[in-house]
Amino acid sequence: MALSDADVKKQIKHMMAFIEQEANEKADEIDAKAEEEFNIEKGRLVQSQRLKIMEHFEKKEKQIEQQKKIQMSNLMNQARLKVLKAREDLIQDLLDEARRRLGRGSQHATQLLHHLVLQSLFQLLEPKVVLRCRKDDSKHLDKMLPDIYSIYKKKTNMDVIITIDHNNYLSPEISGGAELLTPDGKIFISNTLESRLDMMARQMMPEIRCALFGANANRKFLD
Amino acid sequence: MASQTQGIQQLLQAEKRAAEKVAEARRRKTQRLKQAKEEAQGELEQYRRTREKEFQQQRAKVLGSQGDGIERMQQETEERVKKICSSYKENQEAVISRVIDIVCSVTPTVHINFVPSNENVVEMADETAVL
Repeated sequence: MALSDADVKKQIKHMMAFIEQEANEKADEIDAKAEEEFNIEKGRLVQSQRLKIMEHFEKKEKQIEQQKKIQMSNLMNQARLKVLKAREDLIQDLLDEARRRLGRGSQHATQLLHHLVLQSLFQLLEPKVVLRCRKDDSKHLDKMLPDIYSIYKKKTNMDVIITIDHNNYLSPEISGGAELLTPDGKIFISNTLESRLDMMARQMMPEIRCALFGANANRKFLD
Repeated sequence: MASQTQGIQQLLQAEKRAAEKVAEARRRKTQRLKQAKEEAQGELEQYRRTREKEFQQQRAKVLGSQGDGIERMQQETEERVKKICSSYKENQEAVISRVIDIVCSVTPTVHINFVPSNENVVEMADETAVL
């Protein structure tokens, strides 16, 4: 027999202790590893997600800045347009008022008519002309025609035949003037006070604006 | 011998306990890793909340300052419109008179390039622009 009972028992006890010790060591090792991996994993997760959160909020903050700028720009535009519209409305009022007062011009009404017809003739320079006027003006016109003819002949050495169109009078609501056409209707001149006002208004607009609102402070070049 | 089996039994049991201890350690490890995720989420959630609060503060500040700017701009616009209206009132009569003057003053003139065909043309003093 190799060993005694006591020896065997002792050996077994040793082996048991050894097994237990190994198990404890292994368990400790696992625990330590677990702790280490815990820290790594947690750190990794927090880091990456934290970055994402930061980026997300930075983007949102930038968006707010942008929104603010866009809104301010829009409001500035609206403000400018408001001012411009106010000016345009006032100018329109002025022209409407002018239109209403057209009848009381600086020249006498019949004399005005005389000059307007002559002016249109000088534009047309046609031998035959159809003239449209207001119904009430046609009598005055009839009386003025000889004088008109003679002045025209003096200035251009040409003859002209004016036919007053008694079928198409101009509306009695306009303030004066006449329309002239060639007999075939291909050339047409509107020399009523209203058409003159429209034309003048367009041409004089810069001057009107300056007189009403003052010179443009932003303008640098005037020539 | 009885003691031999007993010894072996003891050893086997020791092995079993050892294996259980190790298994237990492994379970703890998985548990710990799960904890890692949970704790991470917890911290992140808190970070997010803090950041959100900061963001809202910033936002309120920015939009607040904008409100002042908007008001100022509106006031400026009102003033400008008022100035325009008063300037208009001052000058409208003069401008209307001038416009009507121009419209109703007609000086019929032949075009400056027009040449009458004959010599028997009476030269008349030419007036200013056709208007």
